[in-house]
Amino acid sequence: MTGENYRKSGMLFSGSVRSMKRNKKIADITAFIIIICMSVIVLLPIWWMIRSSLMKSLDIFMRPPPFFPPDWLWSNYNIPPTTFNYFRYLMNTLSIVVPCVVFGTVTAVPCAYAFARLKFKGKNFIFSLCVGSMLLPTMVTLIPLYIVWSNLGFVDTYWPLILPYLCGGGAFNIFLLRQFIMTVPKELDEAAKIDGAGYLRTLVSIIVPSIKSAIIVVALLIFMTTWNDLLQQMVYIHTPKNYTLVLGLTIFFGTFKTDYAGVFAATVLSFIPGVLVYLFGQRYFVEGIVMTGMKN
Amino acid sequence: MSNKPKKSAAVIKEQRAAYIFLIPAFLGLSLITYIPLLAAFGIGFTDLKVGHFMPNTPLAPPRFVGLDNFVNIFKNPSINFQNSIWVTVYFALFAVVSSVIYSLFIAMLLNRKMPGRGFFRSIFYIPYILPAAAVIISWHFLLIYDGGVINHVLVQLGFERSFFLDSKSTVIPTLVLIAVWQCGNLIVIFLAGLQNVPRVYQEAAEIDGASAWRRFWTITIPCMTPIIFYNVLMSLVANLQIVVPALARTRGGPGKATMFMTYMMYQEGFRGGQLGTASAIAAVFFIIAAILAFILFKTSKSWIFYEGGEQK
Repeated sequence: MTGENYRKSGMLFSGSVRSMKRNKKIADITAFIIIICMSVIVLLPIWWMIRSSLMKSLDIFMRPPPFFPPDWLWSNYNIPPTTFNYFRYLMNTLSIVVPCVVFGTVTAVPCAYAFARLKFKGKNFIFSLCVGSMLLPTMVTLIPLYIVWSNLGFVDTYWPLILPYLCGGGAFNIFLLRQFIMTVPKELDEAAKIDGAGYLRTLVSIIVPSIKSAIIVVALLIFMTTWNDLLQQMVYIHTPKNYTLVLGLTIFFGTFKTDYAGVFAATVLSFIPGVLVYLFGQRYFVEGIVMTGMKN
Repeated sequence: MSNKPKKSAAVIKEQRAAYIFLIPAFLGLSLITYIPLLAAFGIGFTDLKVGHFMPNTPLAPPRFVGLDNFVNIFKNPSINFQNSIWVTVYFALFAVVSSVIYSLFIAMLLNRKMPGRGFFRSIFYIPYILPAAAVIISWHFLLIYDGGVINHVLVQLGFERSFFLDSKSTVIPTLVLIAVWQCGNLIVIFLAGLQNVPRVYQEAAEIDGASAWRRFWTITIPCMTPIIFYNVLMSLVANLQIVVPALARTRGGPGKATMFMTYMMYQEGFRGGQLGTASAIAAVFFIIAAILAFILFKTSKSWIFYEGGEQK
């Protein structure tokens, strides 16, 4: 808007511009130093868990605390399956998480498409119900749903944790996909329409390929919420052999608090799946989370 | 309209497609969201127990008890729901304010030119992807009074040791600290928002000689208000539901200092089997969350700045 003025004033104050540049450089370097310090602080607790997981139970609280384990005891990771059955819990977790991710993503996409592109009666109303439910705390609906599932005989199975994901994978994910679909040029849809494609065809062959990264984000977000959902897993899963990773870890911690090396190793093991998934989808993750906050 | 039958056929077709695509959302919104919400209020007026669902239950069928559950949760000293409300709201507001300020600060720094920006962004994001149960267990060990590394460092720096999770006065601030450590998602959203702050304003103000502090308050903050609002709202809803630290570590203690509303509901409903009482708790929780969100929305009109007056 003020390109001209801006350039003029730039010329007028070229001396102060130079000093400004120097100040900027100093600020950049200060910011960099603070960020390095903060990153170290953020990572320290994680490093401390890893370090402790490789030490003898007796040495963990040794003073002064060694920064590196004196000898790297990988054997700590050999936790007896009777106390913390990592692979069993991991498989259990995956048998909840994988169907949730698949169902959630597959059902969220068409809903998002309808909200983003199609005109229909009651759209605003349904959409605001959808957005409103993003704000609804999940704990409020827990008891009525528990009653339904227990009447169906589903308590102590994984169904109560999986079936809700057949319903669009949560309002937040529908909203996120809608935001992405709205950025896809409408001309693509129209071209497909002229070629005689129906709505489903347009969705599958035009929309889905254009929002691949958003679909990955939704898959990752569903992964994160489902494998982390301690409350619902505690409510619905009772038999130890059906425990999930976080449930098994919590129970292990509650019963064997003083088996330090074991608890540390189990805790670090339970970090791994999330970190792996994050490393795989990092780029998409950041991109997708950003989209939800931005445009409307 | 009636003389354009072709168009209305297309409209009907589009509507039908939309409704078919929305079947999952209809099911989700009705069966697992709004009907259970109403049901939670309904069950709150009964004396329903887990025992009612046992085969051959000796219990009399559930009765309508009016407001008894609601009176009970506030009057019964063993539930003391006032305390639950207080600790939950105290934690949530404290955590929201701290994590929003912290994440905006980190995002501002990360928004400057620096080598390895993406790498650092990932570092701040990592705590967010760790499961909450593993996080609270990790911090439990770091914060142990006798031998925990954090107390060791405090002593070395000349401070007094703290009981952190084991003292009524420090447990909530400690949980807030952990919540702040975990708020990498807010940083990422702020970073994206900062990239949308128009450069022109910044540069113009700089040339006019506005200090960095002044530019922050008069340009960055106003342009960021919609995103601050989004982050405050989302983290408020998330933090009000805090339960994992109580489930995995504090069990509502010390004393009743972490008897968060969700944990209280879990205790009453699933440990004690009192589904009626637990539903009353859930209903009150919902009302409180709605009031806080409502206040936030109402006040937002006065402090959110939309560039070019465009409304969200």
